[in-house]
Amino acid sequence: MRSPTSPGQAQIDIRESPAGRHARPATSGLSTGRALLRRLSPLAVPVLSLAAVLGLAAFFRFWQLDAVGFNSDEAVYTGTAASIAGDPAMVPIFPIFRAHPVLFQMLLSLFLGDGVSDWTARALPAAIGVATVALTYLLGRRLYGHRAGLIGALILAVMTYHVVVTRQVLLDGLMTLCATGVLYCIVRYSETIALRWLLAAGAMMGATILSKETSIVLAGGLYAYFALTPAVRLKFRHLLLAGVTTIVVVLAFPLALTLAGRASTGQNYLLWQLFRRSNHPLDFYLAVVPAAVGYLVLAAAIGGLIWLRTENTWRERLLICWMLVPVAFFTVWPVKGYQYLLPIAPVLAVLAGRMISRLGTTPHFVNRPRRGSVTRIVAAAVVVASLLVPTVQEIQPSGRTTFLAGTGGVPGGREAGLWLRDNVPAGAQLLTIGPSMANILQFYGLHRSLALSVSPNPQSRNPSYTPVTNPDLAVRSGQIQYLVWDTYTAARTPFFAGKLTELADRYHGVQVFPKPSGIGAAGSEQSPAVVIYQVRAP
Amino acid sequence: MSGLCRRISAIIGCIVILLSTGATGVEAAATPAPSTPIQHFLFMMQGDRSFDNYFGVYPGADGIPSGVCQEFVVGRPDSGCVQPFLIDQASAASVIAGPNLINRQWNNGAMNRFVAAFHTQGRDGTVAMGHYDADMLPFYWSVAQNYVLFDRFFASTRLGESANRNYWVAAGPAPGPAGDQAAGFDQTTIFDRLQDAGVSWKFYVQDYQPDKNYRAAPITDPTTQPVRVPLLKQDRFIDNPELSSHIVDLDQYYTDLAAGTLPAVSYIASSSASERSARSLPTGQNLARNLLTQLMLSRFWESSAFLLSYDGSGGWFDHVAPPQVDENGYGLRVPALLVSPYAPQGVVNQTVLDSTSALKFIEDNWSLPPLTARDTAATSIAGALDFRTTPRAARLLPVRPVEAEPLVGATGAVYLTYGSAAGVIGLMLILAAVLPWTRRGLTLLYRGRHRWDRIGAPSP
Repeated sequence: MRSPTSPGQAQIDIRESPAGRHARPATSGLSTGRALLRRLSPLAVPVLSLAAVLGLAAFFRFWQLDAVGFNSDEAVYTGTAASIAGDPAMVPIFPIFRAHPVLFQMLLSLFLGDGVSDWTARALPAAIGVATVALTYLLGRRLYGHRAGLIGALILAVMTYHVVVTRQVLLDGLMTLCATGVLYCIVRYSETIALRWLLAAGAMMGATILSKETSIVLAGGLYAYFALTPAVRLKFRHLLLAGVTTIVVVLAFPLALTLAGRASTGQNYLLWQLFRRSNHPLDFYLAVVPAAVGYLVLAAAIGGLIWLRTENTWRERLLICWMLVPVAFFTVWPVKGYQYLLPIAPVLAVLAGRMISRLGTTPHFVNRPRRGSVTRIVAAAVVVASLLVPTVQEIQPSGRTTFLAGTGGVPGGREAGLWLRDNVPAGAQLLTIGPSMANILQFYGLHRSLALSVSPNPQSRNPSYTPVTNPDLAVRSGQIQYLVWDTYTAARTPFFAGKLTELADRYHGVQVFPKPSGIGAAGSEQSPAVVIYQVRAP
Repeated sequence: MSGLCRRISAIIGCIVILLSTGATGVEAAATPAPSTPIQHFLFMMQGDRSFDNYFGVYPGADGIPSGVCQEFVVGRPDSGCVQPFLIDQASAASVIAGPNLINRQWNNGAMNRFVAAFHTQGRDGTVAMGHYDADMLPFYWSVAQNYVLFDRFFASTRLGESANRNYWVAAGPAPGPAGDQAAGFDQTTIFDRLQDAGVSWKFYVQDYQPDKNYRAAPITDPTTQPVRVPLLKQDRFIDNPELSSHIVDLDQYYTDLAAGTLPAVSYIASSSASERSARSLPTGQNLARNLLTQLMLSRFWESSAFLLSYDGSGGWFDHVAPPQVDENGYGLRVPALLVSPYAPQGVVNQTVLDSTSALKFIEDNWSLPPLTARDTAATSIAGALDFRTTPRAARLLPVRPVEAEPLVGATGAVYLTYGSAAGVIGLMLILAAVLPWTRRGLTLLYRGRHRWDRIGAPSP
């Protein structure tokens, strides 16, 4: 077996890696029992510390999980999962096949058999988030030892970016878990060049793509890694078999569409994604992601790479390739989303953990081990504290009405939707400013909702959405009974917000939610987040 | 203003308020309570359609029989005949038929001159055999599928639209020899009964023009306001503000729904949406849809019944010979739909009814004396409602039926394919993680066996 490590690095590996420990000669009889006890007692501290980190991760992901209602994506994914679970109220509103593969939705459907609730739906991605923290520990431990793994896991446990995304019913949490799994398997393959680990990596890559198809970009990172790392000799036979494994797993996506007779659904969405207009400027990720992952985390990760550059091996190359390729791709790609770069979060956490774990190990600290420990603890505490403040702020329920898509739930949408469910007869249809609020109201209100801003041009709209080619006719012919104005969408598309207000005025709009009680007019500072008008033909 | 004046005006104000409150209370107390849960009855009258024209191919109804072919000249098969045909957008056409033509079509119950009656006038009667289906009448068919469709609902008389409209409000033709041409007469209507009993009522008129009564508009044209609103042929409903104030524009209907002031009995007459012409058919459906939708969205839904019918067959083919109840009645079958939370779903009701059956219902419900022999003898539409069940929740009807995604196939496909993928992933991970442990275990087992071989088995 070849190990693509430098001699110095190999020593570290054998000492710190489980493989190294397991390589010791086996003992027998009573001595085996004593050895087991001896081995268990040192395990207590790492296990307890990891449990504490996981507990912290769980706290930040589950605390006040359903304080704010769903955003648009959450409503769609939960609605789809409920449709898969056979919820008769959701089936006509949320078709199973819309755009993405449905691995996450299928998993979620297993928990929605007894009914849909916000907490249940969000608990799955939150649990997946905690699992990712655990896997990050394993990855960090494998690469740089227990201490680095633990600090990396701690950073990810409280990292704003990961906490915020895994508190939502989004595909990205599962994608990140699977992607971290790919990375772990690749690390094991790089260490052992054993086929089984590359097959496992291929299967996990398939799972990553089935979680969200955009993650196929991560394969580019692996390609760059193997191409730039001759020390890791990738065998063609291994690559072929791993590729076949990935394809076999990914086949579930087109096969499900074909079996259900919806093959064109995926094609339409792919075409739209390829040619849709840019939704954010080129520097979007530069402006958003550093703050979300934490400036100190970023500094620690990059600083570590520079400071420990003489020790850099295939490990750092793998992690850098894994991050750079998706960052470069999504920066250039016109369609950007806050959560798209989440798979790099565990890697940054591990790299930051690596750097912090090496603090206090320089020759200056050789005779001062306690001072070295204190240095590491203080550094870790400072980094974690710098994350805690924004993370706590982000997960606090607030009444804000303007924020970045993907960063949380939408205030007011759930309340408006539940009012619709309780007060509006079945069959009534709504017209919102944009499709995001339409999705939310469809989920909570169980009423079909159309959106004014959906383009009639098939090339310029998400194929999942139905355009309203003539809103006046829709109201006049009785297809639309309610108009919905919301601050969240109005801030993004003032033009269509104005159009909706015009429609409300023209068709005798009467505000029915919230009940008018001296509140300011829609759009004023005192206005509610969502206003529903009942309209009628003249 | 001095303090004394202010006190006096305050006292007067209080007295006025007390009196008005007291008056309202007396009026409210005098209003007879309905004998059924229907506290709000609405009757909308459209114009000139036969049952077979609208619902001739509706499943489960007494529609157009097979093999029908109406001859151009009755008794002369060689003249050719016209079979019923589906009217689509391209062949949209209208039929104009007065009472004489309809009587010829009826032909003493033979029902065999629907084309020939036109032919003898030198007109092409082919269009009279046209009928619609669910594609052209999606809303009405949807109403039928969800509420009650009557397939034995007849026009009250063969004397034409104007006379039928008179039956609608007074259970009889206008007095005098002119019949449907009469105007400026004095005849008791259901609204007089309601007014006397203190039961609230309103006559909603689309595009209402208060000055367009029989004095200002011709009454020979069925589209004019006095024909559509027969109250406007009677002087007291024109001149007496107590009565005329009840005839209002249709906009008031929506206002009343929103304000919670919907009266107990509402009559609705359309104008441009009367459905007499092919062009007005979609607008007629839209109007009916809007009226029903707003009713369903209001708080009155649970206590209401909405009857939609037509004032005559208009020259369109219908194959059922109407029963003879008097010299001129019944007329031919007309479409009729009853929407109410107490209406059973998708029922085709076969009770013989006409517009006086609605009058009968109003009279029974609010304990009013009958108007004429016709409404006395009529069967009430109450039989089509089921008051033993809890009222149905409102459900707005789609413009067109929405086809849901076939769930079973899609769900099965998801679980099968993604479940298989998950199986492959799990297998690969297990192989990767467990294989070395298995090897190590086998190795340990191998070493252990050799050790036992060397030491020997322990003694018992």
